[in-house]
Amino acid sequence: MTRNTFIRLRNFVLLSLVQVLIFSQIHLFGYATAYIYIIFILKLPRHTTRNELLIWSFLFGLTVDIFCNTPGINAAAATVVGFVRNHVLAAFTQKGIADDFIPGARSLQWGRYIVYSLICTSIFFTVLFLLEMFTVTSPLMLLTGVLSSTLLTMLFVTVIEFFSHAR
Amino acid sequence: MQTILNFLIRHNHWFLFALLMGISFVLIVSFNNYQNAVFFTSANRVAGNLFSMVTDVESYFGLQGENETLKEHNRLLIEELDRTRNELAALQDSASLEKHANAVNNGFYYTTARVVNNSLNRIDNYITIDKGLSDGVDSEMGVFNDKGVVGIVYQSSENYSIVIPLLNSKSNINCRIKGSDSFCALQWDGSDTRYSYLVDLPRYSAFEMGDTVVTSGFSSIFPADLPVGRICNLEDAEDGLFYRAKVELFVDFSAVTTLFVVGNDGKHEQSQLENSIGKR
Repeated sequence: MTRNTFIRLRNFVLLSLVQVLIFSQIHLFGYATAYIYIIFILKLPRHTTRNELLIWSFLFGLTVDIFCNTPGINAAAATVVGFVRNHVLAAFTQKGIADDFIPGARSLQWGRYIVYSLICTSIFFTVLFLLEMFTVTSPLMLLTGVLSSTLLTMLFVTVIEFFSHAR
Repeated sequence: MQTILNFLIRHNHWFLFALLMGISFVLIVSFNNYQNAVFFTSANRVAGNLFSMVTDVESYFGLQGENETLKEHNRLLIEELDRTRNELAALQDSASLEKHANAVNNGFYYTTARVVNNSLNRIDNYITIDKGLSDGVDSEMGVFNDKGVVGIVYQSSENYSIVIPLLNSKSNINCRIKGSDSFCALQWDGSDTRYSYLVDLPRYSAFEMGDTVVTSGFSSIFPADLPVGRICNLEDAEDGLFYRAKVELFVDFSAVTTLFVVGNDGKHEQSQLENSIGKR
């Protein structure tokens, strides 16, 4: 348990650094930004309790917010993902399996893992862009932002999963 | 009562969710409204230090480019200094020679000519004048009248010459805006005979609507400061890097009759020199 917590904290710090120092600096075409820290939420074990999920997501979102000068926006979006994640995951878990597992290409198969990540990511970006564009509500801009960022993030999620899977 | 409590305990994650979302929204709203939310931004100490560390590291990668920029800047400054020194020396020399320079009229000499043929309605208009080689009029001499610049002599026969006026797509006269030091070319777009355009006008050039456009005096065709027109409109060039200024021409091309042709003694020397650089 302590070892798991330690690994989780290490991942937390590493992912925040990578997110804040590299990925948050990239704005492809002016609106697409990859928020790869969502992997942290995606990869929490299946039997993580809802409260735990919520708190981890919120903290991670808040950390990114602090560095990106967007107080509350990432925190809110990540909290929403943390809230729905278990429901989404349940839909992609084969019935009859009671074991705890870490969602991934190995445990879920590639197709299901990608769809699962895609749903979570698109929920995340929908909330994120809705909050970000609180005042400027241009539906087209919202849509392009959500779609492009989701695709970009999914690209990185898949690539990272591919390499951790191959190992 | 027990049921309600059970219900609340079973669904406690809803409350946590509501609480966390509440905090998020408070942060969003307070960041937009107050200054005291600085703690939750990169202005706090941890985030600030991290970013300044990164910037320190990043600045090393930029040193090469920075160095090049500085070198280039240095070179420009040295050139500038050199030029200024030369100008100063020239000024000191010319103070005594001024009378002499005025006497020879800076190498320019003038001839009067009459318009014998003129067109306005084509993209490439030409003016024919009644002076030619026998009168000392040759190609690439400037033509102007009492109002302003008309054009440049294109070809000369023994007794006649063809002038490319400003109203010709080939016309390209180097101009300057009076009171500023920006140079640019005057080109006609083929539409309205009253207007021409200054293209590639640098964005940093200082001028206003109604400023007078004059010849630059660089080309050895025209003496400096002959009036050309007045700026009446300003727009962005297609590439967005320059301005394109609409110039109301002083010369009424439908009513040109008497013209002056200006020649330059030093022209051949200057053009030979310039061509020798071009060939190298």
